[in-house]
Amino acid sequence: MSEAPVSARRRSVGFLLRFVALLLVFYLIVASHPVNDAVIVPFTAAIASVSGRILNSLGERAEVVGTEIRSSSFGVNIENGCNGVETALLFGAAVLAFPASWKRRLLGLLAGFVAIQVLNLLRVITLFWIGLHRPALFNSSHTVIWQSVVVLFGVLLFLLWASRQNPLSAERSPAGRERSRKG
Amino acid sequence: MLNARAALRAFVGFFLALAFWFGFSRAYERGLAGAAQALTNLFESPDVTRLAPSNGEILLDRRDFPPGSARPGLPGPDIHFNFVLLVTLFALDRKPLRGAHVARFLAAAGMLFLVHVLALVFQVHSVYATSLGPWSAANYGPVARNFWAAGFHFYQIAGRFAAPFALWWLFGRREEELAPEKPARTKKRKRRA
Repeated sequence: MSEAPVSARRRSVGFLLRFVALLLVFYLIVASHPVNDAVIVPFTAAIASVSGRILNSLGERAEVVGTEIRSSSFGVNIENGCNGVETALLFGAAVLAFPASWKRRLLGLLAGFVAIQVLNLLRVITLFWIGLHRPALFNSSHTVIWQSVVVLFGVLLFLLWASRQNPLSAERSPAGRERSRKG
Repeated sequence: MLNARAALRAFVGFFLALAFWFGFSRAYERGLAGAAQALTNLFESPDVTRLAPSNGEILLDRRDFPPGSARPGLPGPDIHFNFVLLVTLFALDRKPLRGAHVARFLAAAGMLFLVHVLALVFQVHSVYATSLGPWSAANYGPVARNFWAAGFHFYQIAGRFAAPFALWWLFGRREEELAPEKPARTKKRKRRA
């Protein structure tokens, strides 16, 4: 086997190990009671509040209590797994595990987090609407379709961001430096 | 890699995977329940755990449960819907139906099945350790309770989304895929002298 594929393989596995380690650390932070109570629950309540306002502006007469959005005939409780935090963790772990400058990482994290949350807001609003008007479709829309769409969006955002970092990391690698000298 | 054609391939892959998943998830749950039951039984004496799929749930039964007591139902789709994510990511490839790529997809899908089996085993023990009142307290200590419950919670929050991504990264991604797609080469025609 030539040297280049071994080095690429090593980089790839190294990224994966860093990604899994970061994901574990993020999970431990987010799952701890103090962080959950002080950050995650208020953040989820804020998502419910914004979703409720948008639903009301669309004429749905939704009432928000904590992390719950209710109407006269349907209600949803936004829990962990539905607040976009899980996709943000995945995205954050991937961005931090990828070789790039800290400035680019921070920019990527910020833009990615905002984009994921905007899509998740759309998810909460449409799921509430589906539950209210098409209840038979709620379970599959909730568990499979929207969950997959939000996570895929996070993964594709990461790939898009990573493809823009590639020239930098290639320049820093021995093969990239060699190419630069010849270039 | 992430151009309009890749997005279209992912879009088509997503809907094909959804259709496949809706069509075959009941059959898949039978295999999943059987494998998870076998793995759970391996470490039980006597082997009392029984897992039976029923209408999108996997019913958890024990031979030593009182006959009239309720049987917990574990939602199957929550465990294995991430198959759709795996297919979509593999569909990003420039030639997703190439033999070698399909072989790598099958290897990744096989690994994902093992992840699903492990997740279900963790969920079963999580129910045993935390949801059966005095029976749980008598049979699971604090360390075991936290191990099984946190293990399954990690799968719910992060693992089920990270597993397809990690498997695709390992098996399906090509190194050049993080670089922009090159335009197709045009054949040079020889000029006649």
